[in-house]
Amino acid sequence: MTAQALTREDAPRMATWKALLLALPIIPVAASPVMSALSSGDLLAIIPGFAISILLIVVFFRMLVTGRTHRYRSALFISLAIAVPLHLIPQLFELYGTNMLTPEMTYAAKARFCPMTVGAVLLPAVLKGVVVFPGVIAEGVVWFFMWIGASLVIGRGWCSWGCVFGGWDEFFSRLRKKPVIKHVDRKWRFLPFAILLAIVLLSAITFHPIYCEWLCPFKVVSEFEAPTSLATTIALVIFPLTFLGLVVALPLLTKKRIQCALWCPFGALQSFFNKINIFELRIDLDKCSQCKRCLRECPTFSLDEGSLVSGKALMSCTRCGQCVDACPKGAMSYHIKGTRISVSPNTARLLFLYPAYILFCGFGAVVVSDAVWRVLRLITTGSMI
Amino acid sequence: MHGFLLGLANGTSCLALCAPVLIPFLLSEGDNVRQNLVTLAKFLGGRLLGYLLFGLLAWAVGGLLLAAGGYQALLIGGTYVGLSLLLLVAAFRKKKPAHGACVLSDAQVRFRRWPALIPLGMGLMAGLKVCPPLLLAFTGAASSGTLGGSLLLFATFFLGTTLYFLPLPLLGAFTRMPDLRIVGRFAAVIVALYYLGSGILLLAGGVQL
Amino acid sequence: MAKVKSVLGYSVAALCIPVMMVAVLGLRLPMAPALILGFVSATGLKHSANWTGGEVVQTLEHGTYRTEVHRPVFDALIGEHKKGFIQVAWRPPAALPARIDEEIDADADGQADFRIRLEPATKQASLTSYSPNVIELQGVYNLDETLAVRVRLKNPRR
Repeated sequence: MTAQALTREDAPRMATWKALLLALPIIPVAASPVMSALSSGDLLAIIPGFAISILLIVVFFRMLVTGRTHRYRSALFISLAIAVPLHLIPQLFELYGTNMLTPEMTYAAKARFCPMTVGAVLLPAVLKGVVVFPGVIAEGVVWFFMWIGASLVIGRGWCSWGCVFGGWDEFFSRLRKKPVIKHVDRKWRFLPFAILLAIVLLSAITFHPIYCEWLCPFKVVSEFEAPTSLATTIALVIFPLTFLGLVVALPLLTKKRIQCALWCPFGALQSFFNKINIFELRIDLDKCSQCKRCLRECPTFSLDEGSLVSGKALMSCTRCGQCVDACPKGAMSYHIKGTRISVSPNTARLLFLYPAYILFCGFGAVVVSDAVWRVLRLITTGSMI
Repeated sequence: MHGFLLGLANGTSCLALCAPVLIPFLLSEGDNVRQNLVTLAKFLGGRLLGYLLFGLLAWAVGGLLLAAGGYQALLIGGTYVGLSLLLLVAAFRKKKPAHGACVLSDAQVRFRRWPALIPLGMGLMAGLKVCPPLLLAFTGAASSGTLGGSLLLFATFFLGTTLYFLPLPLLGAFTRMPDLRIVGRFAAVIVALYYLGSGILLLAGGVQL
Repeated sequence: MAKVKSVLGYSVAALCIPVMMVAVLGLRLPMAPALILGFVSATGLKHSANWTGGEVVQTLEHGTYRTEVHRPVFDALIGEHKKGFIQVAWRPPAALPARIDEEIDADADGQADFRIRLEPATKQASLTSYSPNVIELQGVYNLDETLAVRVRLKNPRR
């Protein structure tokens, strides 16, 4: 097939006036960075706040006009991942003078919650009412409600629209033009579920957040326990190794989001929400030419030969939209369960994009805006804090 | 009766401590409910063997063993390492279907049957590892006048704790999904690595995680 | 039936928008902190004592400062762990003497189980054990408004 033949024949382009109208509801949500910056009164924060708010509205508008989701989502998603350490680490230095968790900080429950603690925390919290993560409980409750609401609405779409870390392996997976490792055994897709099972059981037995203490690759770009014992020192070696392996090297070599697809237990937990979520990715088998481009493009191994028969993505689908944009026949689309396939795919896509974009804007945009402000501070004053 | 009631009171503790080992193992084997019952019986048999062994030893040497503090870290570390190695073997071995009209020598038949000892070995390690009955055996046997009395206490205690394990073979109802078997194998490896690391650190000098 | 499913599907999908708004932005509303704290209070959620040291069970007044003895922590999901710790804290740090020398009854049986000698300025501490259940001194820590030590213990009930 020629490159021309591989472009989408009927990418759903939208009239400009229509796209503008449909982008209007996003404005109040996209304005969250500027609202946050205005409250600080700092011009150095207001300028990037405005810029990012406008950028968010323009990006949403472009998503609607071009009918493309993935490239715009990916850019925002990667920006968020890069912004998180630029936002979080200086904040930790401002509060505690370090981003290393000392025993005093853990005993005073000052660690920062993140949604990835859910797997470890849930069982002891439900069975015994105790939180085994040493963070501020109210912050954990905030994360919990945000997470549960977002997961019920967009399922594992969290992993492509809300996760603060997933953009890292998305970034490295997009660097090379072609993969070096072309085939990954199907059985590795089950490793995240096994990690989830193991950490739920072990965390419940030990009353410690095992994943956070031993296995999370993103400790490298956030906070981690200070090396005050042999165990914490060993963990400090494991974290950069897992980051370099799962987030940098393997995504570079495979052009897949290896950490998200083949490691992250939180992603495995999110996959179960796909079963009850109203949105899904479907293949119109009447239009599908069986070229298998979607299988090759999918960054999380969520499409296989069976999908081309059943017309459905697997439960690990993160709703990133890459397959939808890549399909040359327009056979892949966002779909609302219970409705007919390929009837109003644009409506289904739009109804998905709204809540997904709200998730990004309402939370990630403020982080990006703050990160830009800190970089500007660094340039103008020599310090990020 | 006293032993049985104590077993009922402590059984959830035993189950909670054995679950990270048993659940991945049962899932990875991919057997049905009936076969899981047999596997569980072997595991529990190994556990009982571990307790009785200790009960016997305690009766023979009294409280001397417990008084030697360093011994505990060595024992627990050693059983962690043994347990993890058995789990790794179970996770990585390929279960072959039974051959039809193959004629095998006695030695070959016995060699092929060795995987059946894995759950027994795991139960033995689990029984020696951290279960509360271990210390009960000790104090019961050390204070009891007769070996028979302490072993009876043990057996009834064991029965009390065993009740909590009975629902586990029902995992066999889910193993029709081949994907779950793969998840079980991976989980078994992860749990094994955790116990291997813990065991090595304990053997190296009682370092607390 | 197909039409009913379709209408339901679109309706649920449309409802997702306000649900996401509430989930992400609702937490910024003025009443949100009160609701969250109310939720925490209603559910009784608390930190694992393995982190926070457990509740204070005994207070010893020394004039300008006081000693707070926390309960021994052997908490587990089911039952108790074989080993745990006890936290002993002194407050306020500014009013502590140059040297603290105190005997602590960890199991509330009326008999001291260990003795702590502590220099608050240097955080140097030593432990003298009177009970076989006392293992070792875990560390000295500056916590919120207290100076605390943790002593590792064996669980006498296991």
